[in-house]
Amino acid sequence: MMKGGLGGGSKKEGKMRIRAFPMTMDERYVENIWSLLKSAIQEIQKKNNSGLSFEELYRNAYTMVLHKHGERLYNGLREVVTHHLESKVRQDVLASLNNNFLQTLNQAWNDHQTSMVMIRDILMYMDRVYVQQNNVDNVYNLGLIIFRDQVVRYGGIRDHLRHILLEMVVRERKGEVADKLSVRAACQMLMVLGIDSRAVYEEDFERPFLSQSAEFYRSESQRFLGENSASVYIKKVEARINEESERAKHYLDESTEQRIVAVVEEELIQKHMKTIVEMENSGVVHMLKCQKTDDLHCMYKLLGRVSDGLRTMASCVSAHLREEGKALVNVDESGANALNFVQSLLDLKDRYDTFLVKSFVNDPIFKKMISSDFEYFLNLNLKSPEYLSLFIDDKLKKGVKGMTEQDIELVLDKTMVLFRFLQEKDIFERYYKQHLAKRLLLNKSVSDDSEKNMISKLKTECGCQFTSKLEGMFKDMSISNMLMEDFKNHIQTSGTSLCGVDLSVRVLTTGFWPTQSPATCTLPLAPRNAFEVFRRFYLAKHSGRQLTLQPGLGSADLSAIFYGPRREESELKEKSDGPSSSTSSTSANGPRKHIISVSTYQMCILMLFNTRDRLTYDDIMNETDIPKKDLDRALQSLAMGKPTQRVLVKSPKGKDILPSSIFAVNDSFTSKLHRVKIQTVAAKGESEPERKETRSKVDEDRKHEIEAAIVRIMKARKTMQHNVLVSEVTEQLKSRFLPSPVIIKKRIEGLIEREYLARTPEDRKVYTYVA
Amino acid sequence: MPRNSNNSTKRKMDLGEDVSSMFGKRSKTNSNSTVNRSRTKGMEEAPTSFNQKKCIAWFRQYSTPNNADTIGPEGVEAFCRDLNVEPENIALLVLSWKMGAKQMGFFTLQEWLLGLTDLQCDSLAKLQGKLNYLHSLLLDSSNFKSIYRYAFDFSRDKDQRSLDVETAKAMLGLLLGRQWSLLNSFFQFLDQSRYRVLNKDQWCNVLEFSRAVDVDLKNYDVDGAWPVMLDEFVEWLKVTRGESNIQ
Repeated sequence: MMKGGLGGGSKKEGKMRIRAFPMTMDERYVENIWSLLKSAIQEIQKKNNSGLSFEELYRNAYTMVLHKHGERLYNGLREVVTHHLESKVRQDVLASLNNNFLQTLNQAWNDHQTSMVMIRDILMYMDRVYVQQNNVDNVYNLGLIIFRDQVVRYGGIRDHLRHILLEMVVRERKGEVADKLSVRAACQMLMVLGIDSRAVYEEDFERPFLSQSAEFYRSESQRFLGENSASVYIKKVEARINEESERAKHYLDESTEQRIVAVVEEELIQKHMKTIVEMENSGVVHMLKCQKTDDLHCMYKLLGRVSDGLRTMASCVSAHLREEGKALVNVDESGANALNFVQSLLDLKDRYDTFLVKSFVNDPIFKKMISSDFEYFLNLNLKSPEYLSLFIDDKLKKGVKGMTEQDIELVLDKTMVLFRFLQEKDIFERYYKQHLAKRLLLNKSVSDDSEKNMISKLKTECGCQFTSKLEGMFKDMSISNMLMEDFKNHIQTSGTSLCGVDLSVRVLTTGFWPTQSPATCTLPLAPRNAFEVFRRFYLAKHSGRQLTLQPGLGSADLSAIFYGPRREESELKEKSDGPSSSTSSTSANGPRKHIISVSTYQMCILMLFNTRDRLTYDDIMNETDIPKKDLDRALQSLAMGKPTQRVLVKSPKGKDILPSSIFAVNDSFTSKLHRVKIQTVAAKGESEPERKETRSKVDEDRKHEIEAAIVRIMKARKTMQHNVLVSEVTEQLKSRFLPSPVIIKKRIEGLIEREYLARTPEDRKVYTYVA
Repeated sequence: MPRNSNNSTKRKMDLGEDVSSMFGKRSKTNSNSTVNRSRTKGMEEAPTSFNQKKCIAWFRQYSTPNNADTIGPEGVEAFCRDLNVEPENIALLVLSWKMGAKQMGFFTLQEWLLGLTDLQCDSLAKLQGKLNYLHSLLLDSSNFKSIYRYAFDFSRDKDQRSLDVETAKAMLGLLLGRQWSLLNSFFQFLDQSRYRVLNKDQWCNVLEFSRAVDVDLKNYDVDGAWPVMLDEFVEWLKVTRGESNIQ
């Protein structure tokens, strides 16, 4: 822009004649320019712009603004546009209220946009200069505002627009056809009319839309619920959500999608989730019972959309799981079978793990809940630790049918998962030791490797303290083997006689093995002497040690000759099919030789019959000194088992063993096998008094463990407040068992009395370690 | 052996007054009691300074025939008679405390000298004059605590670590009879419980309990590291009062 720097007037000087720019325009001139522009604008509005010269109009507008008449131009523009929209456009739209309304409105809108663009182009200079300087709306936006206020938001039009749009939605939801494109155009128009915000769209359409939708879905929910099926409900909800989502994305405005979906979620899911989850015969419980993993997954996805949805579902699952678990665990005494007990729990865990993976996509909420439920009901039954140990025992023994090594490995890993849930792990340890001892001593382990594998699994879970004794047991076994080698050499070189006894000794370190109640019995002469030889040999090597014979754990092979007639020929014929593995004497009437495998107690009993034909129960008890419980078991196995096991006969016949019962050798004893193993009547699990004894031993041990923990902690920290000490102790011991605060307090008092701890004089709630 | 004294109606200072009334000195009430079996006649002696030899000689009046350095139970009884104090009087406990006497019913020469030197008494009369003072020591709370704790070791059987419950009750009655209203309830609780002894920690905590916990038990802190016995007492008391449903 050139300034008329030289002021008015011209200088008639030299070659260059600078004509000053006329600074003032007279009113008429301005008026003319404006008229020109005005009629041009009107022509544009009438869509008659083809005959106009852009350049000329632009120049005129430019001139006006330059001469400081921008305001007049601006106001004039506003007037023209307003007038046109008011008197023409609006009227047209109103006329179409009941006939093609949307199309008419959309058309008007498009026309308006088109003409405003052209008008803006013409008035561009004003936009850039006047508008900027005076901080008013630019031409295009001004047009929008006027259109909005004069047309779209004009009373009847506004209401009708809203009404029509909402009606379209209603129709669509019913499945009827609606003019989607018009709807979309109208929504886009509203969005644009908000200029820099979505306020117009929101107020004029979205808000009423959402509120209407809410009502709609409120009644929909009742309809759905009426179907009385949770799986049907959730499928319908899913369908509706998809539908609304699509509609918003394609036919309304995209930004509405989130909001409408939220409305659906609120009305269909949030408000009724409890009802759905708990629906009889179709809700979560039903789905769990019938293994409907897919339905559960669908519900999971749906409920995941609302806050607390998953928690509602999880607590329903949890309650049901606890019911199932409790039912499995509360088997009554007589019916309880350790193997079934554990297996059923493993099966339950498998089922729920499947749900976790397939339906709940490993969601941590559900994972945690399943774990805590298992922990809850597993510990309801106080015998769980024992049963778990028996189950593992069964899998580690020889003769497990139908499982490969890998199968067993897998099962043991799963059992470890259950083990983790046990609260009284120290009781498990006690039983595991007992069962392991039996396996080792009676040579029942399927393999050393699988035993060691199991121990390392336990070590990983519980640390070395747990497993060090178990490992000690293994060491004892291998040391004993080496010891026997040495012993054999010793016998050979020294030529000592073992009285015809082939002796095999295993030396057990007392601390490692489960404590046996001290038992003695009177051994027959030969084994007794043989053992003496060994004892002397051992103590010569290890003076200062003490050896105590454990008759409850040993076994013996006896060679026996039966002189009587065989059992019934016919009986025998039925039983022998296929090649017989026996190498017994073939002569029908000659004496039969067998090797009988028995326990130590049974050996003591049987050898009495070398010198006597018949003995009463009392006789046997007096001569052998075997504890009553064991004596009964031993005699039952020898005299009252299967016919192929009955080495002794009892009279009178009957189930009871009385002090007066008479026992004699069964001369008719017959067996296909040369070597007969006498099965001891198996004790599955402990009897009640044994269990009580175990428990009291465990309680004793726990007292010591608690005290050790207290001393350990106090020694390190020197002083500690009561509550802090109690929680530290609980924390340290929780991998073994859960001590109650009262018990810990009692142990603290015990330690105070024995002067390991004292209360500080200033605060009796704070303890201090007494060095 | 001190019996459970039922002194709840007597005032604390009544012993001192009784004694002084016997001498006709500083008597607040006119007592007609004229029994006077004290070996020294009822004259207040002129204050003399403490004489150790005299004190020892006084000791020897009560010591056992076969051990001149110990006063046994009979000697103690005679001593009390002369002093005009019942053996179960708390002043004797305070005196023993001053002496650091190890075993109830016995005083060694060393203990005797220790206590009486501190009190500056080498004769009965002087000691009688100090009885008020001994009583007054109980009023100071930290002295009382010290005496209370001392009472445990003093009254227990030396080859036991704990105090049998009967002796404990007697001592508790002596010490706390007038200041702890729950004492009788506590005795009832002990009677119906399985406790046959009290250990030192329990003993000390009874005093703390009597000082810290209100009669209505409202400020009893379950997490207050009280011995289990006292937790049980509180539970029992609540049940007895009908405030608790826990059986």
